Amino acid sequence: MPFTKRGRRRDAVRGLLYRLHAGTLAGNRSRRDRAQASSSPTFGSRLMHGTPRTDSARHSTDSLLAIKARGLSKRFGSLQALRDFSLVLRPGEALGLIGTNGAGKSTALKLLQGLRRPDAGSGRIFGQPIGSQGAKRLVGITPQNADFPEQISPRELLAYAAAHFPKPKPMAELVEAFGLQRLIDRRMGGFSGGEKRRVALALAFVGNPALVFLDEPTSGLDTGGQDLFRAYARAYAEAGGSLLLTSHHWDEIEQVCDRIAMIDRGRLILEGTLREIRSRAGRCRVSFSLAEEVEPPAWLLRDFLLQDGRWQRVTADSDALIRLLLRELPELRDLQATPLDLKDTVAELRKETQP
Amino acid sequence: MIGKTTALLQTNLLLANLVLTFRGLFRLPGFWVPTILFPAMLYAFFGAQTAGEGAQAVYAAASFAVYAVLGVAFFQFGVGIAEDRQSAFAVWQRSLPGGPAPLWIARLCAALVFSTAAVLLVLATAYLVADLSLDLETQLRLLAVCLLLAVPATFMGTALGYLTSGHSAVAIANLVFLPQAYLGGLWVPPQSLPAQIETLSHWTPTRHMGEVAWAVVGAHPIPTASLFALAAFTAGFIALTWIAYHRDRRSRFS
Repeated sequence: MPFTKRGRRRDAVRGLLYRLHAGTLAGNRSRRDRAQASSSPTFGSRLMHGTPRTDSARHSTDSLLAIKARGLSKRFGSLQALRDFSLVLRPGEALGLIGTNGAGKSTALKLLQGLRRPDAGSGRIFGQPIGSQGAKRLVGITPQNADFPEQISPRELLAYAAAHFPKPKPMAELVEAFGLQRLIDRRMGGFSGGEKRRVALALAFVGNPALVFLDEPTSGLDTGGQDLFRAYARAYAEAGGSLLLTSHHWDEIEQVCDRIAMIDRGRLILEGTLREIRSRAGRCRVSFSLAEEVEPPAWLLRDFLLQDGRWQRVTADSDALIRLLLRELPELRDLQATPLDLKDTVAELRKETQP
Repeated sequence: MIGKTTALLQTNLLLANLVLTFRGLFRLPGFWVPTILFPAMLYAFFGAQTAGEGAQAVYAAASFAVYAVLGVAFFQFGVGIAEDRQSAFAVWQRSLPGGPAPLWIARLCAALVFSTAAVLLVLATAYLVADLSLDLETQLRLLAVCLLLAVPATFMGTALGYLTSGHSAVAIANLVFLPQAYLGGLWVPPQSLPAQIETLSHWTPTRHMGEVAWAVVGAHPIPTASLFALAAFTAGFIALTWIAYHRDRRSRFS
């Protein structure tokens, strides 16, 4: 490609451009890093145990892992829905399970919840076999489809769920957390999808669980409800609770989760903290615009994508690309180099895993 | 201390399931009005008219009492289970600790309450429209027998609930329930049935349920053959429920 053959010049200009244009996202990254530091596995364990973890402590606390799953596989007829899926989730961690529709997220979740049996592999929840009564007492689950009995009110349903747990959360806390004040005593028959979703979220937390599974928790929820959920989920994880959620909302994953795991065609193809994922990708999107009278050269047409009037390209070596652009296209305007957001980062990494 | 806590939690759990089940059913007139009222209504319109007064009225009231129990079993258990199997809420309930026993006990209690109400309403209607002469003791015995007959009926309904889908359950329940009631001689006395139907009648569980109820109100011994037949039908329905239940579990949870 043309830009790889050019010499190294104008580093100072490039550095300045990069810092100027990447400033906003760099700020976001710092905030995320702080969030990661406050809720990383190590810190989560400190929250739980009060002391910093060591290697020997890590070994001895294996039985305290929120989830430890090894080699889970599941086949439905001719479809291999999940293969050799392994996962560890520590107390205080929030993990986002991502993937396209039909990738195997829901199957993985059902196996971990004990609602399906794996063909192979095994797993434990805080040392208890998945699906056992001991594990169920520690887990909160939100129903994927909130088809609650229509003649029951949220208060009655929450009281019903609370009776299954030794130390449930106070009803008032859940009402406040999920904005149920107006709904709490109404029968659910006339509820909208978003209102039912709020109740479903409250149900996941009612038992004061140590681990919560959330399958697309904010699907159908208005932005107010989404904000309430994200704040509550983040506070829950920072207080030592563990979360495993699936979502198609990338901003939700970024706000709530410390780590992500990506499933594609039944396989876990990517797993790590948000910082690790970004540093593994290490890429930027370089973009600029050209005046209409400038004829784009052939290499630009070939290697760049024109979108919304801006030429753009994702690259692992933004320095070299920017040098080349500045040399070959002095007419360019508004050159920007921005780190990829999570969605694009994952998409780039996913391409690398494609056969 | 742990045992006490567990016992308390179990009691809470049972109470919570009872409250949820009864609230759900009582607030659903579409369920309880037809379940409780329909047998009495059918008795008033047809049973009492065809039976007349005296002993025949007593036998007809007993027949419709059995029919009422059968209705609860088919519609609360049969249709209820079939609909639950397709509900995400029921799947979520499965994720809760405590096991399925409290929910089943609650369902059974609800079935007993609705059966009792339906039977009492049939008897009350019989008093009003057919001048029923049945002493209190016999009425209580009839009620007790009806509740015992709820056992095979419940397993019949449960098997149906696990064998049908939520969409087809109501239609299939009616398709089984109504012919069973007719063939068993619950709507018209068996001796009034056409000869071939009467012969076929002996092979239905409802006929033997009727025989037991008629023996109670007629103050004659319960036919041993009917007791054996009911025991065999109950065993058969339990086996069918077991097979259907495990087939359903395999398809939904394994």
